[in-house]
Amino acid sequence: MTVQPLLDTAITDSLQTNVDLIQRIMGQSVDFIKRDFDFHQETNRQGVCFYTDGLISNTELQHILKAILVHSQELPAEILLQADTVEELKRRLMTNCSLRAIRKIGEGVDGILGGETLFLIDGFAEGLLVVTKAWESRSITEPATDNVVRGPRDGFTENIRTNTALVRRRIKDPSLRLDSLIVGTKTKTDLNVAYMEGIVKPGLVEEVKARIHKIKIDGVLESGYIEELIEDAPFSVFSTIGTTERPDKVAASLLEGKVAIFVDNTPVVLTVPTFFWQFFQASDDYYSRYWVGSFFRIVRYIAFLISLMLPSLYVMLVSFHQEMIPSMLAFTIASGREVVPFPVLVEAIMMELAFELMREAGLRMPKPVGQAVSIVGSLIIGQAAVQAGLVSPFMVIIVAVTGIASFAIPNYSASLSIRLLRFPLIIASGMLGLLGFAGMFFIVVIHALSIRSFGEPYLAPAAPFRPSDQKDIVLRLPWWSNKSRPSIAADAKRQQDGAMPKPPES
Amino acid sequence: MNCRSIAVLVLAWSAVSILITGCFGKQEINDLAMVTAVGLDLYGDNQVSLSVQIVRPADARGQTGAPSGGTGEPIYSIQSQGRTIFEAARNLARFSSRRVYWAHNFVIVIGEDYARRGIADMIDFFTRNHELRMSTWVVVTPDKASEVIATITGMEVVPGEAIDKLFRYNQIVAEAPGSNMMRLQESFLATGAEPVLAKVQLKPRGISNKKPNQFGSLKQVVLSGAAVFKGDKMQGWLSPKDAKGLLPFIEKVDSEIAIVNCPNEPGKRTTLELKKLKQTMKPGWKDGKITLRIKQKIDANLVELGCSNSYAVVREQLEVKLRQQMEDQVKNIFDIAQQQYRTDFLKAGQTFHNRYPQEWRKVAAEWDDYFAEADVTVQTDVKLTSPVLKLKEPTSGKELK
Repeated sequence: MTVQPLLDTAITDSLQTNVDLIQRIMGQSVDFIKRDFDFHQETNRQGVCFYTDGLISNTELQHILKAILVHSQELPAEILLQADTVEELKRRLMTNCSLRAIRKIGEGVDGILGGETLFLIDGFAEGLLVVTKAWESRSITEPATDNVVRGPRDGFTENIRTNTALVRRRIKDPSLRLDSLIVGTKTKTDLNVAYMEGIVKPGLVEEVKARIHKIKIDGVLESGYIEELIEDAPFSVFSTIGTTERPDKVAASLLEGKVAIFVDNTPVVLTVPTFFWQFFQASDDYYSRYWVGSFFRIVRYIAFLISLMLPSLYVMLVSFHQEMIPSMLAFTIASGREVVPFPVLVEAIMMELAFELMREAGLRMPKPVGQAVSIVGSLIIGQAAVQAGLVSPFMVIIVAVTGIASFAIPNYSASLSIRLLRFPLIIASGMLGLLGFAGMFFIVVIHALSIRSFGEPYLAPAAPFRPSDQKDIVLRLPWWSNKSRPSIAADAKRQQDGAMPKPPES
Repeated sequence: MNCRSIAVLVLAWSAVSILITGCFGKQEINDLAMVTAVGLDLYGDNQVSLSVQIVRPADARGQTGAPSGGTGEPIYSIQSQGRTIFEAARNLARFSSRRVYWAHNFVIVIGEDYARRGIADMIDFFTRNHELRMSTWVVVTPDKASEVIATITGMEVVPGEAIDKLFRYNQIVAEAPGSNMMRLQESFLATGAEPVLAKVQLKPRGISNKKPNQFGSLKQVVLSGAAVFKGDKMQGWLSPKDAKGLLPFIEKVDSEIAIVNCPNEPGKRTTLELKKLKQTMKPGWKDGKITLRIKQKIDANLVELGCSNSYAVVREQLEVKLRQQMEDQVKNIFDIAQQQYRTDFLKAGQTFHNRYPQEWRKVAAEWDDYFAEADVTVQTDVKLTSPVLKLKEPTSGKELK
C-alpha cells in the first residue's frame, strides 16, 4: 500500500478525519506520540498534537501546551470563526520562535518526523507546525583527521546547523549564502550548499545544484553518497571532491571561490572543485610562518613520491637493473636477500599486504586492542620475518618508510588512493622493470591529466600551467604577497598592494 | 569511440601485455654472481685464461638478516680458459652456480705476457659489452693476474673495492696513472697518443697480527709504476719515479711531493708538497722538425724541513734545486719515450695535431720517428710559498743557550 495519495490530501476541518489520516500514515510506531487537549471549552473545540518522542524537547512542548491550555480559554469565541484563525493563534497564543501553518497532511508528517510538533484543532483546515527540535548530539571536538599543531581545534559535528554555524562564525559576511536542499526519498536528508556570492566561480553553484537534483536515491547516510553521485570521474581512483572535517578549511575554500556541500548527520563536508595538489596542503601551512609552511609542504610532496613509488623503484632496481645500484649497496642488498626464497616482487606484495592488514586490523579493533595489534604485527613483521629468512631487512625498511610516508599525506582519502596505485606500479615494475614502471606511471599520469573536477582540470595549476596560481602550490608564499585569489574565483582581488609589513620610518 | 573507452582499451592492453610477457629479462640480485675484479692471463700460446673475483654477499656483508652459512671468505675466485675472452667467460658457467654479472666490476688486471701479446681483443670485449662500465680501472701486473685477483688486500672486505679505493687515494703518491677503460680506449683509438696503464704488483707488505716478527708474511697489492704500450702491445715498464714525470702529461696532479737535498749539507733532505702543478706543452714546427716546449708552473709548500739553516735562508736555493729536479724529471720521461721505447704515450702527437692540422697529415704516418727526433725544451717556474708561522730552523731550543 502506498501512502503517497494520503500525503497529498489537504487537511480538512474535521479533526477526526485528520487524526485518522495521520494515524494511518504513521502506523503504530512507539515513538509516535498523540496528545489530546481541550482547546476551547466554550465552543467545545478539541485539539491534538503529534510529535516524535526523542526528537523534540519535552520542556518546550510543555511550555506550549501550558500556554494553549491556560490562554486558549480566554480567546473570544468570535475569533475562532474567522477565516485566518490560525494566523491569529500564531500571534496570540504561541510563545516560541519558529512555527508555520500548513495545509497538507504530507507536510505535517514530514514535520513530525523532522522533530517538529504538529498541532491540529477541530474546525480548522490548517495545521500548526511548531519547531521543537532537540536531540542528543555530539559536542564540538577536535576532528579525527586533518589534525594541526597550530590552528583552531574545532571540528564539524553530525548536526548540519552546528556545522554551518561554525563556518558562519568565521565569515561574517552577508554574501555567504546557504541554500537548502533535501536528498534521499526515504531519509530526506538536509543538505546545504554554501558559497560566497560574488566570489564563487560563475555557474558553479547552478552546476552543483543541478547535479544534486539528479540524485534519486532512497537514502543518504553520509556525504560519501553525495560525493560518489556527483563526481566527474566515477571510475577513477582519484577523488575529485575534497573532503574535510575542519571549518577553517571550508571557510578558506569558500573564500577561494569554491562551493561547500554540508550534509546532515556527518561531520565530513565536501568542497568542489578540487585540485590534486590540494591533498598535500595542511591547514598548518597557512598558520605557521611561510618558511616553515613551504618546507613542510615540500616534505609532504616528497612523502607523496615515496609513498607512491619507493617499493616499485626498489623492486625494479633489485630484479632488473642491478647495475643502477651503487656497488657497495648492491652487495648489501644481495647479502640481505641471500636466504630469501621469494622473488622481490612477491616479497614486496607480501609485505605491502601485511602492512595494509596491520593498518586495517589496528583501525577496526577497539582502541586498546588496536595498539596491541600494531605492536605484535610490527614485531612479527619487522623482526621475526627477517630472522626466519622470509623477507629481507631492506624490504622491511622500504615498506616501513613507504607506510610512514603515506601517513604524512594530510588528506585521508588521497592517501588511500595513492596507496591503491602503489600495487599496479609494483606489479608492472616487477614484471617489466623500468619499462613497466614507466609505462604504468604514464598511464596513471595521463589518466590524472584527463580528469576534471567541476570543470577544472584536476592537475591545475601545474598542468595546465597557471602562473598566477603558483604562489600556493609548491611553496606557500607569505600572505602579504598573496594579493589575488585563485584564478577560479570571480573576484580576484584578495588584498590591497603594499601589504608587506615594515618598521616605521623613524 | 569516446575518451573513456580509449582509456579502458589502453588499460586492458597494457595489463595484457604485462601479463603475457611474464617477467622478461628478470634476474634477482641474489641470483647473480657479481664480479668485482677480472684477471686476464695468457693460457698456452694463444688462449685466454680468465680469472674472476666474485663477491659472496652473505660473507662480505656479515650477518644482515637471517643467518646464512658459508666459508667466511668474502670472495669466490674462479678461473676458466677459452680461445677468446668471451668463450672463457661463458665457460665460467661450467662451475659458477650463479649467472656471472659484470656491471659491478671494479678492476681489470692484465698479466704481463698477455699485455705484451696485445690487448686489442680485451679492449673490444670490455667496451662492447653493455654490462661493463667504462669507469673500470685497468692495470697490468708482472705477476700472475689470477694471483692478484685472488689476493685479499687492503682494508676493504672485497679486494676489488680495495683496489678501487687504492686508485682514488693513490693520487697523493702520484706514481701511477689513473687508467680506466675510458682512458684506455681513448688513447688506443687516438692517433698521436699511446696507452699507458697503471702497474700493480704483489709485494709482501702486510704484517700478520699473529706473527708480527715475520714481516711481510702477507702479500698485498701495490699500485705503483706504469706499463707503456705501443698500439695494443706492451713495450715495457715505467718505474714509480718515471711515472711521476709522466703524470702531469696525462692527468691533473695535485699534492705530489718532491724531496730536495739541502744546499751544502749532504745527507740532509727537505720535503716539499707541490700544491699546484700546471703544465703545458707547446709544439712547434721548424724546418721539418718538431719542437716541444714544456712549461711548468709550480706552487710548492714546505712540509718537512731537514736543513740546519732556517727556511728563510735556504728558500731560494730550494727553489732552484726543485726547478732543476722537475726539469730533470721531464727530460727523463722524454728520454724514455723518445729513446727507450720510441712510443708517444705523452700525447705529444695529439697536441701537435691540434696545433698543426695541416702538417700533421705529413707526419702522421711516421709520427714515432718524428717524435723520437723532436727537440724538447723544458721551462719550469717554481714558487715556494712561505709558511709564515714557522720560519726558524728545526734546532732544539736547548742548544741555543
